[in-house]
Order: sequence, then structure tokens, then C-alpha cells
Amino acid sequence: MRKLGILVFLVLSFGFAQKVHLMWSGAITGPTSDAGKYYAQGVEDYCKYANEEGLTGGLTIVCETRDDQYNNANTQRNFEEALERGDPAFLGYSTGGTLQLKPLIQEVGMTYIPASYHIGNIDPPNNDYLFLPIVSYSEQVIALLEYIAKEKPGAKVALAVHPSPFGRAPVPDAKEAAKELGIEIVEVQEMAKGLDYTATLKRFANKGVEYIVYQNVAGPVATMIKDAKRLGLNIKHAAAHYAGGPDLLRLAGDAAEGVIWVTSYYMPYEDAPGAAFVKKLGERYKRPADTIESVHYPSGMLAAAIAIEAIKRAHTAGKPVTGDAGREAVYAEMLKLSFDPGLAVGPVTYSKEDHVGVDHMRVLEAKGGKFVPITEPFQSKLFRKVHYGK
Amino acid sequence: MRNPWAQTGNYKTDYRQDTAIFATYLEVLSLWAFLAVLLVLPFFLSRPQMFVLDLILVYALAVLGLNITTGYAGLINIGQAAFVGVGAYTAALLAPSLPFWLTVPIGGLAAAVAGGIVGIPSLRIKHLYLAIATLAFQIIFEWTVGHSTILKQGGAISMPRVEFLGYRVGYKNHYYFWYFVILLVVVVLAFAFRNLLRTRFGRALVAVRDNDRAADAMGMHPGLTKIFAFALGGFYAGVAGALYAYLSRAVVIEDYMLPVSIKFLAMAIVGGLGSLVGSFLGPAFLVLLDLNMEDLANWLKSLGLSYAGVDIASAMRPLTFGLVIVLFLIFEPRGLANWWRLVRNFFRNWPFKY
Repeated sequence: MRKLGILVFLVLSFGFAQKVHLMWSGAITGPTSDAGKYYAQGVEDYCKYANEEGLTGGLTIVCETRDDQYNNANTQRNFEEALERGDPAFLGYSTGGTLQLKPLIQEVGMTYIPASYHIGNIDPPNNDYLFLPIVSYSEQVIALLEYIAKEKPGAKVALAVHPSPFGRAPVPDAKEAAKELGIEIVEVQEMAKGLDYTATLKRFANKGVEYIVYQNVAGPVATMIKDAKRLGLNIKHAAAHYAGGPDLLRLAGDAAEGVIWVTSYYMPYEDAPGAAFVKKLGERYKRPADTIESVHYPSGMLAAAIAIEAIKRAHTAGKPVTGDAGREAVYAEMLKLSFDPGLAVGPVTYSKEDHVGVDHMRVLEAKGGKFVPITEPFQSKLFRKVHYGK
Repeated sequence: MRNPWAQTGNYKTDYRQDTAIFATYLEVLSLWAFLAVLLVLPFFLSRPQMFVLDLILVYALAVLGLNITTGYAGLINIGQAAFVGVGAYTAALLAPSLPFWLTVPIGGLAAAVAGGIVGIPSLRIKHLYLAIATLAFQIIFEWTVGHSTILKQGGAISMPRVEFLGYRVGYKNHYYFWYFVILLVVVVLAFAFRNLLRTRFGRALVAVRDNDRAADAMGMHPGLTKIFAFALGGFYAGVAGALYAYLSRAVVIEDYMLPVSIKFLAMAIVGGLGSLVGSFLGPAFLVLLDLNMEDLANWLKSLGLSYAGVDIASAMRPLTFGLVIVLFLIFEPRGLANWWRLVRNFFRNWPFKY
């Protein structure tokens, strides 16, 4: 009888639970979909988990993942649909799509959490409602330079960046930081679809380059790393978040040995509660191994977790969570959000001045076909000074 | 006696009648009725739906331009998105200091100048070689934007909110306001397109396409005609770009890259090369097809027919896009415009078909 009562309560509470929609729009197909498809699965799975485990404060969060095919017009349409429906927050994806939507986001006051960690997303103007889940690309690259300066003072470094706003964003800050650190950036090379980087690497070698720092995607980085190994060059490779990870290991094979990589996420094989959680969720929702191993899977989870937590807190405080008032309430919660979902190496904290969630990252090194951490979680010492002048 | 409401026979007795745009009153009436429908349509559509409609009309403008260069003049252009981009970036740079009704035509003129310059190689080269020259323009455009600090290296340049007759356009009426602006531009430029072939400049385009030596012998200047085709096609694209900049509230390089040029070509082919109606049917068909495939894929996904990790939506949308183009190329190279012609002919004498 008691069991029946609980069952009836659960059915009724599910049936009557207020539904709140949360949309993610990103590239499940098209350019960068190698990251986007896993990110989408992370959003879907965390959302299911939060609903099933009652982490939503009695709400039913209906998560919807939309394939915008890396097309800004599709992102804009999806955002408009979410806005029209009264969604309180939006999960975005690309750098271009986010930058394009900034004026509209500001005007309508919708909390927006992109997968792009471009610093321009949270820099003025129109930056009030944008929140990065982890440290920006600029901070990641500066952190790598700090690590290099410690490992080899006065090192000669080349930057290999993607030919897009995504790739170019950290370059000015990196140049400033290099001056402060006493290391030399001898060249900034844009690269994306090359089949052979022999000439570029030979030039780097002639200039005495000792480290190549990548702000790129894994594909071209893997090609360059393999070419460097083939040429027998004594150059170390250092990758920012989207340039490295398990995707790079898959693409570059043995050549990736010794590559260093900076990220705020755990690896699924690590002995850490966050890593175990990701693995558990992947297995629970029958995701294949490549999903669970991908760093983009927990990235999607973290974005969803942040939005869901803010929605839950607004609801628990008795505020509306849909429509104009819902957007306001969720934004107010975002500005004081401080919690640790365990998905990254530090807690998520936001304030009016700080729109970066996880402020910590680690440097990992590829050893024996796995990325293993070689530092404790840390914050860049120089980034704030270089970027904000404080 | 001739019936002014239906084509009951061939009563044309002079050249003017032969080139008349409207053969019967019924055609005039149906055009006015169609325009009336377009005018009241926004009252029945939501904001996201309006955005889609605006997008179709902007794409139609770009495809109209492509149909002048490639459809009428036969000059293959795979850099149309770059011309659209020239218009968009021109509008973005001028928007803080000039009203939109000036930035939009100036955007068109800037793209026309770019078209005139890009058209210069067409004086010496043809066919595939010319296609590669337009591809080079597309690449140069992307590189130039990516390395220009004034253009934010391809990052977003925000467009200001516009004011018109003391009325400030906010986000709630954004798509509705721009719909009427775009519709007006589309109607004017579509009439210009329709009338182009009735002028000697337009007929010269077709003559040069069919045989430039014969056209030369008949007193036309093939070189200038080709440059004119590129400039005019560029103007349409530039106007489309400037309008799109306002519509999307920011200019970002990704909206003007090579895949978008390919998309415009696909729209022109599916619609029917060189056709006015096809310039609207092509963009409408491909945009709506994509939306419907997305809905269908999501529905299938909701039924649980998709194995975890293998997203049906991932496969259906790009596959359908590719399949449609291949099927049109094989089975209906004249595009949707030919279907429109068949339907129109069926109803022309209806119910007295014979």
C-alpha cells in the first residue's frame, strides 16, 4: 500500500511538475561536429539525470538539442524559438554564432552559456548575460606560456592558431604575456586544412622554435605533430582545450606522446569523483566508449548543470522560471551562483564582475596513450593583468 | 474575339505585345493577389517564422544576382557569398553614421564595384577557369576580412538598431519591420530582373552567353557585357548582404564563406537557372526542406528509433540536401521553375484545355 502511495505520488508529481524548456543549439553535423555531437550528448544525459534524480527542485527540465550545422542563421532561429517559448536560459555553441547573437542576448536579457570559450563573448559590449563554463582560450594559452616559461626560461615559442576569430582571440594577450614572462613568440602561424606542414616546421626549426602552442582544433594539430615526428624535430607541442584531448590521441597516435594540454575537465580514467560520475552517466545512458572518453561529453554536462542549477535556485526561491520574469530570475541567480557539480577541477562561481565559471585548469601530458595530469589545478597568474590590466 | 482574361489563342500582332510581361488580366490579378497575401502574411506568423521568411527573401535576392551572372550571362560564379559579404561589411561600417536606406544601396554599389573587378578575368577566360577565378575572389575575401582589424578579423561587427520616421525598431518587431523593407526591395529588384531581358543590355547578356563571337559581330561588346553581368549580379548580392547584416544584427565572416556560395549555387540550380520564379522557389524549397527534415528527424528521435550515439538528425539533413541536388541535376535540370511553368500552362486555358 505504501509503495502504491509512493508510486501515485511520483506519477502525480511528474504529471503536474512545471515544465521548463532548455535548448542547446550547436553543430551535431557540419564543421566542428566532432566536438559538437559529444557536447550535445552531454547536455542530454545530464538533463535526464537531473530530472531522474530530483536535482531540479521539483521542475521537469525539458532539454532540447538542436543541430544548427555550425550555421549562424540556424542558431539565431533556434534562439528566437527559445525566446518565443519563454525559456529562461540558452545553451550555445560556436564563437561566431555567440558573437553574432550578443546584441540580441543583451536586449532580451537571456542567460547564455556557450561552448565557445572566446574571451570576446564576455568582454564588453553586450556582455552582461554571457557566462563561460570554464576559463577562456586566452587564459588557457597564457597558462601554457606560464608553464613553458617555468620549464624552460627564455624559450622560443611559435603560436599555431586556427584562421578564425576562435583561433586568433588569444594572440594579442599571448604576446603581452610572453613579454612579461621573458619568452619569445617568434611567429604566429594560421593553420587549418594543410595536408603537410613540412615547410612550416622547417621554418620554425630554422628560427630555433622550441615549443609550438596550439589554439586550434585537433585535426590540423595532429597533422603537424605527426610531421614534426617524421622530420625528427626536437620541438615540444602544447595545446589549448579544443586542440588536444583524446581526439588528438586518436588522430596523432604515437606522435602525440609528450604533448602537453591544458583543460579544466577530468579524464574518464582518472581516480576522481568527477571522472567516475561522467563514466557512470555514459554507461547509464548507453553511450559508446568514444563518447565517454571525449572531453566534450563532460563539457556539455557542465553547461547543462550550470543552467539547471540556476533555474532550480530561482524556482526554489519562489520566483517564476519562464518568460520575461523567468529570464530575470535565472540571471539574478547566475550572478551569485557558486556550486561544485564535480565535473571540472574547480567549483563554478559567478558574480557581476566574474563571468567565468570554473577558474581553474590543469596541465596534462600524453603518456602511454593517455593524458595524465602533471600539475595541480591552478589559475593563470598573468591573465588578469594582461587582459584587464589589473 | 480576344478574351482579356484568358489566353484563348495567339493574338499578338507586334513586337511590344510579344514582350509584354502580362499576357492577360488574370496574370495581373494573380500577381496583385500574391502581393496582398505577402502583405498580410506577417499577421499570422510568429517571430521565428518571420525570421525564416525574411531569410528566404534575402537568399532570393542573392540568387537573383547569381541568376544574372550565371543564369543569363553563363559566367560560373562560385564566389557569390563573398559579394554578399562585401555588401554586409560595407553596411556594417557605414551603419553607425548613415541611415539604413542609404547603407543598403551603398552596400549594393560596393559589391557591384567588386563584381566589376572580379569580372575582369572573364575578358580572357571562360568556363571552369573562370569558376576558379571567382573561387579565388572568395578566398581572397575571406583572407582579407580575417586579417583586417577594422573588420574585427572576422569577428562580429554589431549593427545598431534602426530608427525610421521616429519609430525605433526593437526586438519584438525586428523581423516584421525588416520583412516589409526586404519585401519592398525584393519587389523592385525582381521587376528590374524581369525587365532586364526586355532591354538591349539584358539581351546582350544572353547573346554573349550563347556565342560571344557572334554577339561581337552583331555590334555588342562581349567584354563589357561580361563585366556588366558581374557588376549587376554583385549589386543584387551586395543589397542582400546589407539587408542580412541588419536582419542578423551583426556581421560575422562565417556567414559569407565558401559553403554559403555553394548553397546559393544549389538554390539557383534547384530553382532553375536564369529564372525569376526559380530564384524564389529554390531558396524557399531548400530552407523549408531543411526545417522539415529537422522536425522529421526530431520526431523519429523522440520515438526512440535512434540508437544512442547515432543521431538520425545527423544523417538526414545533410543527406537530404545532397540527394535533392543530385536528383534535380539528373531528373529536372530546369529546376522547380519548370514545374511552375507546367502547372501554369495547365491552368492557362482551364477548364477549356483544348
